[in-house]
Amino acid sequence: MKGFFLGLSSGAVCAAYCAPVLVPYLLGEGRSVLQNFLALLQFLLGRLLGYLSFAVFAWGIHTSLPQDIAHRNLLIGAAYVFLSGLLIFYSFFKAGRACPSAGGQEIDHRLRNSRPSLFLLSMGLATGLNFCPPFLLAVATAAEQASLLQSVLFFLTFFLGTSVFLIPAPFLGLLRGFSPLHVIGKMAAGLIGAYYLFIGATMLAGGFYR
Amino acid sequence: MMKEHPPHAKTIEVRQSPGKSFLFALPMMLLTLMMMSGGKIPADPQRLFVFTVTYLFFNLLFFLMIHTGKTDRYRATAFITYAILFIVSFISHMFEARGSMSLSQEKILLCEVPFCHLVIPMTLIPAAFTKTIIFPGTITGGYASIASMFTIWIGASLSLGRGWCSWGCFFGGLDDAFSRILKKPVFRNINPRWTYLPWAVLLAVVLSAAAFLSPTYCTWLCPFKTVTEFEAVTSFKILVQTILFASLFIALVIVLPLLTKRRTQCSLFCPFGAMQGLTNRINAFDVRIDPDRCINCKRCVTACPTLSVTEESVRAGCPLISCMKCGTCMDVCPSGAVAFHVRGTPVAGNRNIKRMLFLYAAFLFLAIFSGGTIQDGLSRIIRLITTGSMI
Ligand code: SF4
Ligand code: SF4
Repeated sequence: MKGFFLGLSSGAVCAAYCAPVLVPYLLGEGRSVLQNFLALLQFLLGRLLGYLSFAVFAWGIHTSLPQDIAHRNLLIGAAYVFLSGLLIFYSFFKAGRACPSAGGQEIDHRLRNSRPSLFLLSMGLATGLNFCPPFLLAVATAAEQASLLQSVLFFLTFFLGTSVFLIPAPFLGLLRGFSPLHVIGKMAAGLIGAYYLFIGATMLAGGFYR
Repeated sequence: MMKEHPPHAKTIEVRQSPGKSFLFALPMMLLTLMMMSGGKIPADPQRLFVFTVTYLFFNLLFFLMIHTGKTDRYRATAFITYAILFIVSFISHMFEARGSMSLSQEKILLCEVPFCHLVIPMTLIPAAFTKTIIFPGTITGGYASIASMFTIWIGASLSLGRGWCSWGCFFGGLDDAFSRILKKPVFRNINPRWTYLPWAVLLAVVLSAAAFLSPTYCTWLCPFKTVTEFEAVTSFKILVQTILFASLFIALVIVLPLLTKRRTQCSLFCPFGAMQGLTNRINAFDVRIDPDRCINCKRCVTACPTLSVTEESVRAGCPLISCMKCGTCMDVCPSGAVAFHVRGTPVAGNRNIKRMLFLYAAFLFLAIFSGGTIQDGLSRIIRLITTGSMI
């Protein structure tokens, strides 16, 4: 239960970290509330995978990786670059609708239609590996658990606690009738992607980003 | 079929004789005298001179607005002067207070950064959830405090809506000025999709500000830092930020307005402007197009500097939510179809009274809000001429 309450108490912060990825996507897709719930589930599943892989990792090393700044920057940097790649891809290759100056719908069509849920899963996974402050706290606590199962359970409950705050997100589907929001969502995804790319790249390059 | 109307029908309708114009302008003269002087005429000769020039400047422009029936020409004169003298005054202040335009980490940590309205959209969500303002400024007191800017913004939003962007913003006059230099645009066609970009910037900066608890637009994108203040370049990150905002300034405030004759920074990028569009729905004044008078010449569509008039909006009888109430469309309309309007009144009612009501609200706001800055800017220029230094 400790994980759940930690998740619940810090869920607003987690939601704030997930919102820049999730909100532009949901607006950009312009789907119904129900379809958005399904999308959220896929995103959360990806996030859960991110959390669980960390649970194993945190328990495995028994020390807290987040304290090792160089490694931490490398990992967060990679997660940011990956996430930015997804966001820019989403914005740019949906350019027929998002960016008035670009093309590329065919690649988009092929990629997105063949693996529609992979995209959301990956976005969830990358945000799951995003070291937001509550997540760092959870990693530190999980590292202290006696067994792997306990560590996994801790992250699972932490995940459930934080997810509560994302429940309102699918209701963005209520705005889907307003078609400019589809373009706005995609443009915003591109802008946030560019921002994450810079943060990630400088973290990977090491030391520059403060 | 185009309906026939006498040329300049609208101007003729709202134009006034010199005597009538003087009478209509008289209350403005008294109000500006009261508000700008604060009940005390300056005794110092130089300050008196600057005060008199500023006072006459505003009242002459207002008189001409009424007399000629043209709005935008005189509004723009005051608005652009304000933007230029704001920069003169602001930079002088910065040199006086810190010796340069660049901000040191120390000043940021001491929360001594002047607050500007462009930060407002980013502060709302963090303020609601964390009860803190994510900006290193002073809440009250000091130069441009957070409380004073919020108060002015709320007042302006209620009275003018997005009219703020043509009558109040101390930056708006810059792209407005550059958009007027060429007689004809080099690039005519702008894909209307670009008008969604400010909303995307708004969404991106609001979400990222809430996630990172930092005013991301100010840190990364605000082009106006180029002519006001910026962080001293002490790291690679700040170097990238500096290159980014300076490039945006050159592109959006100088080059694109020049080539397109549109206010590109304000209508295609500024997130505050996008948010301010929402306040167009809650204030008393708007702009309406009378279908009975419209001859469908599309001059307003071509002339609107903010791309707020489209063929559909002409048919619908009102510009888009992004309208800044600048008055350009009514100045170019040959049939007097476009006019300022008071919500809840018939579109075809007495347009002169409605125009006068709007002009009193907007012009008085501009004169009061900018009066002090214009006087300070003028004093600095006089000081520069007489002593060789603005500080
Ligand atoms: S759009 Fe932005 S920069 Fe332009 S006038 Fe409005 S607030 Fe100022
Ligand atoms: S619609 Fe008219 S008043 Fe509004 S911004 Fe365009 S030109 Fe100015």
